[in-house]
Amino acid sequence: MDQIFTRSLSDIVKLSKTTASYDQLTFQTQLITDIKNELQNKSESVRLQALLKLFFLSMEGNQIRWAEFLVIGQMGSPEPQIRITAFLLSHLVLDNQSQGLIMVTNILKKEFKSQYLEASSALSCFGAIANKDLGEQLFEEIISQINHSKPIIRKKVVAVLSKIFTESPQLIPSNLDKIIQLLKKEQNVAVLACGISLFSQVMKATPSIYPLIIPIVYDLLTKQKSNWLLIKLIRFSNKLIDKEPRFKQKLIEPYTRLLNQTSSKSLQYELIYSVMRYFKDYNLLFESASDILKQFLNHQDENLRSLGLECLVQIQNSDGINAFQDQLIEGFKKGDYFYKLQILQILKEYTTDKNSDIIIDFLLAQYDIESNSKVIEALIQIIQMNKFSNVNDPEKLMLQQIPMIAKKIDSIENAEKLRDLIFDLLIRVPDLQIYSHKIFMEILNGFSEISLNHEGPTLNIIQRSQQIKYSLNHREVLFKTLVMITGESTRLLDIDSLTILFNYLHDGDFYLTFENSILDLDQLIFKLVISSAQLHKDISQLNQQIQMSKIIYQKLHQLEIIGSQLLYESILLQEDFSLEKVQKYQEIFNKELPPIHLEAQKMIKRPIELDEPFEIDLNEIQLITQSDKQQQSSQNLEQKPPQEQEKVGEQLKDVELQQQNQNDDKQGLQITQEQPKQAPKQMRIIKDDILPPGISQNDIQQLNQDD
Amino acid sequence: MINFILMVNKQGQTRLAQYFQFLSVKERMTLEGELIRKCLSRNESQCSFVEHRGYKVIYRRYASLYFIIGMDLEEENEMAYLEFIHNLVETLDKYFENVCELDIMYNIEKAHYILEEMVMNGQIVETNKTQILAPIAVIDKAKDE
Repeated sequence: MDQIFTRSLSDIVKLSKTTASYDQLTFQTQLITDIKNELQNKSESVRLQALLKLFFLSMEGNQIRWAEFLVIGQMGSPEPQIRITAFLLSHLVLDNQSQGLIMVTNILKKEFKSQYLEASSALSCFGAIANKDLGEQLFEEIISQINHSKPIIRKKVVAVLSKIFTESPQLIPSNLDKIIQLLKKEQNVAVLACGISLFSQVMKATPSIYPLIIPIVYDLLTKQKSNWLLIKLIRFSNKLIDKEPRFKQKLIEPYTRLLNQTSSKSLQYELIYSVMRYFKDYNLLFESASDILKQFLNHQDENLRSLGLECLVQIQNSDGINAFQDQLIEGFKKGDYFYKLQILQILKEYTTDKNSDIIIDFLLAQYDIESNSKVIEALIQIIQMNKFSNVNDPEKLMLQQIPMIAKKIDSIENAEKLRDLIFDLLIRVPDLQIYSHKIFMEILNGFSEISLNHEGPTLNIIQRSQQIKYSLNHREVLFKTLVMITGESTRLLDIDSLTILFNYLHDGDFYLTFENSILDLDQLIFKLVISSAQLHKDISQLNQQIQMSKIIYQKLHQLEIIGSQLLYESILLQEDFSLEKVQKYQEIFNKELPPIHLEAQKMIKRPIELDEPFEIDLNEIQLITQSDKQQQSSQNLEQKPPQEQEKVGEQLKDVELQQQNQNDDKQGLQITQEQPKQAPKQMRIIKDDILPPGISQNDIQQLNQDD
Repeated sequence: MINFILMVNKQGQTRLAQYFQFLSVKERMTLEGELIRKCLSRNESQCSFVEHRGYKVIYRRYASLYFIIGMDLEEENEMAYLEFIHNLVETLDKYFENVCELDIMYNIEKAHYILEEMVMNGQIVETNKTQILAPIAVIDKAKDE
């Protein structure tokens, strides 16, 4: 009966999918209650389903350790299916600290002697939960199974022994021989693989046993064909080589054979890794491995490319790695961001003076926004490596490469690194100080070019007046440094260099955008003048340069703007700021602005669909006329014939504009006439070219006829 | 040594989790969530090997399910473990006959059993599909009888 009402795992999975998220807690609480009840049910199928539901609960992220004793109870069930399921669940409810482990001991002891399937499950359970005490208690039962007829049992016994020996190394010496004897006659690949893993663990605890293991490993290497086992053997052999370097000689032949025969990528990777690390001196083997490594580096599969780089690093030798330079360069061009980072890491560590020029030129030519910062960092590190041992041409570095790097920099961290590099070169190497002014100008030209083309990720150096918020950015970090160094180097420069620098500062404007560096520039100008004074024998040239420095100073501090900014302050702060002066200023500010000239109005085209009538204010037109007259008399212009005059004033006397009466649709013009004291003025416009916009001569004639 | 094997779908729901070292439930949930987000953020042009929280993580995507293995940072053959993931999927596929996520959800104990036959104590112990599926075939036969 219970089976009818019990929900199976499938039912629970379906229910879980259909249950709303806010009901999940209720659902799970109910499920836990059901499981607790079902695990104590007499029916085996009900208990089995309850165990399966515990799996589901665990996958949903619930703690199921409350079921520890219930599950242990099921481990002793007479039904094999339930026992096996309980053993499978054990790693979810138990760990090596659990108190329930004491109860598990007898259950496992009994299970090791039962059918091979239950014994196999019990061994797996033991492997998952065993601690030191449990391992020592059950060791005899386990080791007695080492010669079991079933390979599944032998395999799991060896795997479990690996864990016991790790926890209790004192058991190794007396029992290792049994394992070695087993492996010598064993044919099953899985058992052998577990044995190699066991040896690997044992070597960590007692490294001195390696002489016992080497013959077995070599024997397996020469005979086995399973790729998985060969991978384990090669990896273990590397550890043996560390202990016994003479073992390398024996491995050359099997490694060469495997390299030539295998097509398995994982086995090839293992072999290449081993050869690159340990067999650099063995040319034939190394060349075979190098060929395959080049294939890896050029492969389409990104995993193989990445692993190829891992192998390359194992060479740990600059000359060896630089033999793969072409593959690295090609890989950098095609690879994604992470692959580029791996390559940059290799280049940073292994670039030498023999290939530094190629690498630096290649990296300078790269421009990728994502990796730009890392490329710059790598470049600076390559240049600085081993106290600049990679620098073959200092002049090229100073005048070409450093300005190019400065142009590409997009972060303050890299700017500070470049600043330190420039300091190291220009301050500590006296012979290079004479290049300081050239570097200064080259870098500034580069910044100017970027800003004018609006390139680069930061645009906060555009124009001074447009900067709202200014902060010390990466370009200014470099600029300040260069200004300081150039100032310090002026005493070393000759007259021509000083003149070039003066002319550059006089003619250029871009440096004005570095607002936080004005004081530094003041110092530079001052030092330039002092240095010039010491060198110039011709006073007129010196005076010329002093004048130029004054102009540069004025540009820097924008004295006209400051002057105009101080205007109002100077007016208000006058001591004799009297009422008369206030009235005088009032006249200036209260005076009406003249109206917009009619000619200027003509330039404005009437909107096409404008249906609203517009008004012409006669008084305004009179004002315009009078102001024109006054202007004309003051300028003493020659008057043109009336027809050609565009002066509205003379035309207005003869202008006659008749009102166009439209009743409701408000089309055309409505001219309002003010009622002056004098007789009303009629306006007649004679020529079209002086008509207000929207009015033609035909309209005027029509109006006249209507009148 | 393998520290954990996970099968997680794109929504971050774990369908199978086997841990070979002790982690609390909270730590497991956090780790699984972080790993799936990391895997989802990577595109197909990037390699299947990443480092996360002191683990070397190897992952592979099959349809909507991510198979993730976490190992110690010491030198291991990543390619071999990538092939192991494929071996695991092929074994599951052989048993369930065109395996999908639902097969694993409804037969979770079988999936655990298969995984346990392949990996023990953090070490790969068996890669032969026939050998792996032989015990479970016997159990199924006994159950039917």
